[in-house]
Amino acid sequence: MAEQQELRDEELVALAQQGRRDSFELLVRRYMEKAFHIAFNFTRDTETAKDLSQDAFLRAYANIKQFDGRSSFYTWFYRIVVNLCLDHARRHRRVSWESLDQMAEESGEQNQFADSTFAPDEHAIAGETKRRVDKTLESMPKKQRTAFLLRNHQGLSIADVAKVMKTTEGTVRVYLHRAVAALRQSLVEFV
Amino acid sequence: MKTRAPLASACKQYEEDLVLHYYGENGQDERRKIENHLADCLSCRSFLDDLRRLLPQITQIEKMPQSFWDNYYRQTVAKLADYEERKFSWRAFFAPMRMWMVPAFGTVVAAVLVVGLMFGKDNIKLFVEPRAEKIPQEIMADKNQLEFFESMEIIEALGKLEAQDEPKTEATPTDSTRASGNAQIV
Repeated sequence: MAEQQELRDEELVALAQQGRRDSFELLVRRYMEKAFHIAFNFTRDTETAKDLSQDAFLRAYANIKQFDGRSSFYTWFYRIVVNLCLDHARRHRRVSWESLDQMAEESGEQNQFADSTFAPDEHAIAGETKRRVDKTLESMPKKQRTAFLLRNHQGLSIADVAKVMKTTEGTVRVYLHRAVAALRQSLVEFV
Repeated sequence: MKTRAPLASACKQYEEDLVLHYYGENGQDERRKIENHLADCLSCRSFLDDLRRLLPQITQIEKMPQSFWDNYYRQTVAKLADYEERKFSWRAFFAPMRMWMVPAFGTVVAAVLVVGLMFGKDNIKLFVEPRAEKIPQEIMADKNQLEFFESMEIIEALGKLEAQDEPKTEATPTDSTRASGNAQIV
């Protein structure tokens, strides 16, 4: 397995397609953090995000022979994660965005905004910013939010976001712009 | 609370391009055009600065400890192993068989199927049960009933004969008397 660590995704996929589970396990190691973070951005719940992202790996493994290499592995895999998250959101109607606020308030020292370099008032501002951002994300149309999360949070290129969402790059640009405009609007009154 | 400057507004026609510029998603020409504009436009520069300040903040999420990832990986690998075990469990059933046994097994299965179809629940009765028993009970007749029906046929036959002979019986009343006598006998 150690010698496989240098292999590219496509090579690991080819080995996994031949039934090498250990090769796929390397892909799991490579993408588990990203998969978890995508799911977390959608669900805002650690356990649900863990279950969804692990299910995505299982689905990818079960269908690995159907991967034809037309897109990169991560684009193909991200699509599985995002679809699972969207299905989950559909089933549970509302995403519990509030839970992150509670988590953030409860674990102040681990809070992203609770950096030691922040003064208490900076901390308060950051907390309020976060609440507003979460509220805006919650109220956004689903596709707009998905495009924003994939580009802003996951760092996918617009071309890859378009592939994941099965839409055009132009549409993704519009979604992205609208999402940023909405976020900006939600923060514009906040000084 | 320390106050911050409100978010700046960009020139409307540049707003979308500025978002793409922040993400590094515009082409070389567009990039050059934006940079030229930014050099002269304070509000667009402020807008871009706001994006640079705010968007990374909402990106970050709680950093999970290494133990979480170790556990995550272990669980995922276990799930993959479990999936594979379930997927290939049918192969384990056939594992002790030699290669020649596969067509033999197939032939036996086919033969059982053919026999099953031939002697199925309904078909087997044709071989085991006599056809006569298939006659519905309501039209089965015992010996007495058969005699009764036979006598009825005779009566009907006599009735027909009477009808045929009716013009003659007017002339010879003794025939009708004889016929009724016969009926009484029956």
